[in-house]
Amino acid sequence: MGGSDIKWQKDAADQNFDYMFKLLIIGNSSVGKTSFLFRYADDSFTSAFVSTVGIDFKVKTVFRHDKRVKLQIWDTAGQERYRTITTAYYRGAMGFILMYDITNEESFNSVQDWVTQIKTYSWDNAQVILVGNKCDMEEERVVSAERGKQLADQLGVEFYETSAKENINVKTVFERLVDIICDKMSESLDSEPAMLAGGARGQRLTEQPQSNTNPNCNC
Amino acid sequence: MNYQSKANKYVCPNDRQLSLRAKLRTGWSTARSEPPLTATEREAIAAVVKRAEKVDEVEARRVGRIVARLEGMRRSAQGPAPRSCLLCGETSRLLAPLRTCSICRNTACPKCVIEMPPHRSPIYSREQYMCNLCAETREMWKKSGAWFYKSLPKYILPERKATRRYNDTELARSLQDAGNSSNEGKTDSEPGSPLSVHAPTFSRQPSNTDSRKSIVSSHDTHHDWNETDILSHGVSGLSLHRTESLNQRSVAGLKRTGSKGSAYSIRSIRKEISKPLTQPERPTTIPDAGFGTLEIKLAYDNGTSSLAVTVLRARGLIGMDMTGLSDPFCRLEILPREGTYSNRLRTKTVHKTKNPEFNETLHFFGITESDLAAKSLEIVLFDDDRYGCDEMGSATVSLRDCAKSPIQLRLALSGATGTEPTGPRVLLALCYSTKKRALVVTICRAAELPPRDSNGYSDPFVKLHLDPDPYHKKHKTSIKWRNLNPIWNEEFLFETRPTELSRQNLTLTFWDKDYGKPNDFLGSLVLGASSKGRRLKHWMDCIKFPDHRHEQWHSLTDTQHL
Repeated sequence: MGGSDIKWQKDAADQNFDYMFKLLIIGNSSVGKTSFLFRYADDSFTSAFVSTVGIDFKVKTVFRHDKRVKLQIWDTAGQERYRTITTAYYRGAMGFILMYDITNEESFNSVQDWVTQIKTYSWDNAQVILVGNKCDMEEERVVSAERGKQLADQLGVEFYETSAKENINVKTVFERLVDIICDKMSESLDSEPAMLAGGARGQRLTEQPQSNTNPNCNC
Repeated sequence: MNYQSKANKYVCPNDRQLSLRAKLRTGWSTARSEPPLTATEREAIAAVVKRAEKVDEVEARRVGRIVARLEGMRRSAQGPAPRSCLLCGETSRLLAPLRTCSICRNTACPKCVIEMPPHRSPIYSREQYMCNLCAETREMWKKSGAWFYKSLPKYILPERKATRRYNDTELARSLQDAGNSSNEGKTDSEPGSPLSVHAPTFSRQPSNTDSRKSIVSSHDTHHDWNETDILSHGVSGLSLHRTESLNQRSVAGLKRTGSKGSAYSIRSIRKEISKPLTQPERPTTIPDAGFGTLEIKLAYDNGTSSLAVTVLRARGLIGMDMTGLSDPFCRLEILPREGTYSNRLRTKTVHKTKNPEFNETLHFFGITESDLAAKSLEIVLFDDDRYGCDEMGSATVSLRDCAKSPIQLRLALSGATGTEPTGPRVLLALCYSTKKRALVVTICRAAELPPRDSNGYSDPFVKLHLDPDPYHKKHKTSIKWRNLNPIWNEEFLFETRPTELSRQNLTLTFWDKDYGKPNDFLGSLVLGASSKGRRLKHWMDCIKFPDHRHEQWHSLTDTQHL
């Protein structure tokens, strides 16, 4: 743990990057969100279940399309009792990994509810990827890959089946999400060139004191 | 949100919660069946939140650096001009024609543009250049995440003097402490609401008020302010009141910065602020009449029969523009004149100051020794203005004293001699009518207009407009045929608000009506908050005392500015 701690600090303090994306992993309790994050950030896995308290995050810098992207990945508690805390972080997230457990029918049925949560609390242009986790447990599968794909199409998002334990598709999901956000970024900048032109300048000129109150005229 | 309080398990949801719940279709009950968070849970969450804050702060500093970089580029840019580069000011050359930026539409030289990838811009398919400024702005939007949040996230600007980038200076620490302590204070006092305090914020307002205060309160000398701070925080009244050490002039100057925000004015004002600190003013020994003093050196050369007048400096001049500063220059003349020939010389203009250092030597040639005994030198200080010059004071000195040896003099300036303007002029009445919510401009009369027709007369009429005017209202008086001193007494209304008025300029242009050829220009007049002297006073009077008619003569200038 000590080693990863140092690594984390190094990653967090690292200034040498181009973009910073904030990602959020959501889904029912015990679908494997924390394992998924640990696999990606630290390449570690433990099958012991420790419920996440409220919220946690990890930082990882990746290299994508000649750009260094710093990812701040928020891991949320799936339990209902932390919901007020977790939803507060929806607002800052650019991308969501919506996770369900392929061995748990209920977690799959909740996907629609989670989508509603995203729509309610996040920014409009936040990107979502649907992930069916624990695909290594093929014998206990209750949600077929087809159903997952179908639901993803219905929601208009991309879909992956992953395994944090066997390290299947974990990296792919994050890379794909980064790509989607990058695409969205250039798209939004090209569609709104006017926003660029005066945007930053307008910011600090908004406060205009009423000059007629005390014109300070020496005449 | 008293999430943890055991006492009220049932709370009345607020409107926002109700509307969110309606969207979630989860029912209306807000009873909390789950047990509240335990102390250890709260601690764990607080630890994560603290960690996140650290990341946010690092990020805010990074964004601050990007913003500062862009700000620096903006400041060093030459500004848009028709046939020169926006950034470096380079003019168009044969081998390096200027490009037009497809975003800001300004021209820039090939060195200061980048080519846009053709697929990137479907809208502007013809021009695929982007000036470095727009490119940098674009990068800033991308790198800061502003593209996503539709506005810049909160940021902390880097300190100017910290060349050691990662070494926090006192300023930064105090800034940071202020931010932290206020946050921690809240957490301690109401531990039950981690949400309201630690929820990520994406507006830069709350943290900035803190930091602004801390900057001001922790540094009592104003030269610790750096340009970027003033620029970014937008100097507000709040911060100004806390700096008692700032003298009146710089307060006035900074106020103007706040309202205009142009980089130029900031720089000049900074110069102003530091000036009194670096060079202590010599005490004025002679009484002055409130118009300031002027120091000159006179030296007469027998051999070349020339008089060298060195205008050294002036002190305590009257302010002419909004900020209480002036752009003084001196006009020198040997009086009495010989015949109609006038022997006038002028110094260069020193901008934005009441204490100009001229240090300029002007030579009058053909001055005989007998002239010295009889003649005197008149020095008139004017305020340089595109739209006419206002007299700021004058002094006359006899030349007799300098006949033998050079002398240095300190002169007290006396007030403007002729208060009523001469030459082409107009009598104008302004009145802001609160009933009509409009500025009523009355063109009463004009005098001594220049003749433009072959018959020795002009056929004058006046065009008026307010700028900027959301209604784009333009007015014209009638034409007074064959008349150089026309009387109109015509009234015109401009719908506007008094608050708007302090940002608007009224432009009058006088024309000679001609048929078959373009109208001849006779003169112009601009009144407004950015004008100076008499014109400024007239305008401010009109704003300060609405529903009163303010009548005043104004000289016309022959420069045409539209």
